[in-house]
Amino acid sequence: MKTGEIEDQFILFGQRFTSRLLLGTARYQSPRQLTDAIEAANPAMVTVSVRRQLSGAKDAGKTFWNLLRETRRTILPNTAGCHSAREAVNTACMARELLETNLIKLEVIGDEVNLQPDPFSLVEAATELIELGFQVLPYCTEDWVLCKRLMDAGCEVLMPWAAPIGTGQGPRNPFALRELRQRAPHIPLIIDAGIGLPSQACEVMEWGFDGVLLNTAVSRASDPVRMAVAFSNAVEAGRSAFLAGPMIVQERAVPSTPEIGRPFLADSYPLASRTP
Amino acid sequence: MSVIVNGQALPLSEPETIASLLLILAPLPPFAVARNEEFVPRTAYAECRIYPGDRIDIVHPTVGG
Repeated sequence: MKTGEIEDQFILFGQRFTSRLLLGTARYQSPRQLTDAIEAANPAMVTVSVRRQLSGAKDAGKTFWNLLRETRRTILPNTAGCHSAREAVNTACMARELLETNLIKLEVIGDEVNLQPDPFSLVEAATELIELGFQVLPYCTEDWVLCKRLMDAGCEVLMPWAAPIGTGQGPRNPFALRELRQRAPHIPLIIDAGIGLPSQACEVMEWGFDGVLLNTAVSRASDPVRMAVAFSNAVEAGRSAFLAGPMIVQERAVPSTPEIGRPFLADSYPLASRTP
Repeated sequence: MSVIVNGQALPLSEPETIASLLLILAPLPPFAVARNEEFVPRTAYAECRIYPGDRIDIVHPTVGG
């Protein structure tokens, strides 16, 4: 084991993870493509949703459930599409019974256009779910006061967006995200939603975020399995860069190669040998 | 009587509880149930009565982000 690896633990709710990437399971072209992408990305968790059983596809849930179990990943159910605290709490309860986990990615959508979280209902739902014994990972914005309220409610992890869900725009508000990281240095912060490229995932990890949750950037790539590998490498590279401590940006050019001893440098010739 | 199951009206010959409704519908596990948007735990199926017009949701795990 290399120096530093022991200290760099990614722990969520007492569980230690070797990967800092969390992967969504939606919008793949086939179940096989999904499992290949999971295998390639080696994510800490995979996200799933709960939806109505359709009469024509009764076994779909069972098939998907079996597929999930075969991946042997920690399952993170979500409350995607919920628009009120009540809906989210009841969806979370169904997910807990179904998937046998207290973990919940809490989504309470407040706007149909940009799928932005509803900050008021989010805090309300988080408070209730924590009282019910859930381990809540709230999908939130980078708004400091909202994040503070969620922490006050007992959230042990926060998942601020980079940009609206499914846009792939990358961090829209880098200054606020970095400020959030500085002001909440001890709570795990996972960037959730809006990441489109591995370079963006790498960048937020360089800023000191603890993990990245993404879906569409992998599933809608031309080659999702290859993109899964790219994201896995990017997240790891960003984390290593953060731990390594980046250099301080300079105003002026500084030569990296030593000047001393450079050939043909006038001052290094003895005066006598110089050509007039 | 009639209840709404997963958004569709379902005429039924008087099922009295979630448990008796599930016997008729026979959903494949794993599934979870809500009645009128309230979660019904598995342990409460036998006691949870159903009334005409109730909205029942039966959900299963599926893909998500």
